[in-house]
Amino acid sequence: MPEITGHKRPKAVYPRRLIQVTVLAVLIIVPMLTMNPSEWSPSRIVLGHLPPPSVMDISGDTWAFTIKGFRLIHPIAFLEGVLSSRVLYIPLLVGAVIPLAITLVLGRVFCSWLCPVGFILELNQRLNGLLKKAGLNHHIGIPDLRYTLLFVMLLLSFFLSTPIISAIDPPHVFGRELMYLFTHRMLSLSGMGILLGILAFESFSTRRAWCSRLCPSGGGLSLLGSRRLLRISMDRNLCTHCGYCNTACPYNLEPMGLAEEEKRFDWIKCDNCGLCRDSCPTGAIKYVVKGR
Amino acid sequence: MISRRDFLKRSISVWFLSLIPVNFQGPVLRPPGARRDFLARCIRCGQCIEACPYDSLRALDVTSGGLAHTPYIDPLKTPCYLCQQRGPDGKDRPVSHWLRCGEVCPTGAIRKIRNDKEVLARVPYEMKIGTSVLDRRICLAWQYDSCGECYYNCPLRDKALRDYPPNEVIEGATGIRPYVDPEFCIGCGMCNYVCPVKEHIARSMMDRSIKLTWFEERYAAMVRNLIGSAGKGVRLPAIRVTMRI
Repeated sequence: MPEITGHKRPKAVYPRRLIQVTVLAVLIIVPMLTMNPSEWSPSRIVLGHLPPPSVMDISGDTWAFTIKGFRLIHPIAFLEGVLSSRVLYIPLLVGAVIPLAITLVLGRVFCSWLCPVGFILELNQRLNGLLKKAGLNHHIGIPDLRYTLLFVMLLLSFFLSTPIISAIDPPHVFGRELMYLFTHRMLSLSGMGILLGILAFESFSTRRAWCSRLCPSGGGLSLLGSRRLLRISMDRNLCTHCGYCNTACPYNLEPMGLAEEEKRFDWIKCDNCGLCRDSCPTGAIKYVVKGR
Repeated sequence: MISRRDFLKRSISVWFLSLIPVNFQGPVLRPPGARRDFLARCIRCGQCIEACPYDSLRALDVTSGGLAHTPYIDPLKTPCYLCQQRGPDGKDRPVSHWLRCGEVCPTGAIRKIRNDKEVLARVPYEMKIGTSVLDRRICLAWQYDSCGECYYNCPLRDKALRDYPPNEVIEGATGIRPYVDPEFCIGCGMCNYVCPVKEHIARSMMDRSIKLTWFEERYAAMVRNLIGSAGKGVRLPAIRVTMRI
């Protein structure tokens, strides 16, 4: 058994937290800046006070974001937009190129590095653990329904000509609720129902059950990133079978299985969050760039 | 991973969802430049609602079914200002080069319209919000010769809303006689918003809980008279935006 040395390397969780907090801050600050202050004042009749034009050129959330005419479109939003409208609109395609390329090369990094709801649910894992200790937690043995839900919703959005994932995608709902809050001083019932429902569901059921089993847009990103270049890899000589990585993995993918002869690891579901890498005491788990 | 057979089985088991009706909402005013296939193209990103400088665009809620989170305009709450800002000299200045909602729309559900009054007065019929309709029977200007708010506040004044209808002879006219030209009217709803002939003004006589602004107080007595004499079957306010189709 190799000696466990204090293996020092920069943890992946620090840059990840930085990006997650930045995204959350952008989602809050952008609608605050573009808010029209005149709605507060009762004296307005026809004239309005406007937000300064410099901040008006930035809008959107994780679903679709625009800054100075430069767009970023979530790959699933692009897919659903094309399917429901049955038109390939070129600016939409152009906006989706960079996120699509990131997903194809780096995998489902949106879920672990950007998604604001994923960030909140990751912090919520602590509550999940406490409830588990208190015995209030119920294991729900649902299978991985993400691809099924994605497939059904995309087909429905094609046949009904109504985008469905756009209405329920949690990070988008989160951004939209913040936007409604600041522009119209209200919250939508459906959006808050979805967000609080997911929070309660994840607290009282299996750890990260929504993200790993139900989220349709996350499933779509998984499929898009299934042949990605960036992966985790296990150095079999260094692995001590301590099992820390299995505990750390939020989706219970059991990365320690990579050290075995027959590799049984759900590559498609892994979202490159790097928690197993950070938890590894010997540094056996690394990020590597390689093809399938 | 699941097998292909299971995947198809599960997919088919949720197939009955496609029988759900989508639209529970009557027609509403859509943003300027909304295409005919607006609902199919809109991905509910909400950028138009966020980008609207006056927050005129609102979102439909979940009671509208599949149309939830699509933008609409309620001219009685906030009309579309056509991205203009009126200065102290009474002249409108565009706040952006394009109308903001069309500029940010990523899917082309709302088309880009150049923010120029010449262009705005001549947008084709398919891209309009709606068209204003004036009911002369309850119009203060036409009946009592004492209003003209819609004429003065119209962003496309003298094009969409004119003083005096063409090819018509009216005797004894001294004040403004508003006339909507449906060819130029884009349906922004400003006239709808400022028209003083409103229901709550008529009701404020009986209901003391309704507080009127000084602007509404100015017209209140005349409005009550007018609505009382017009009888039933009139729709308020006197100038309303009607849906495109």
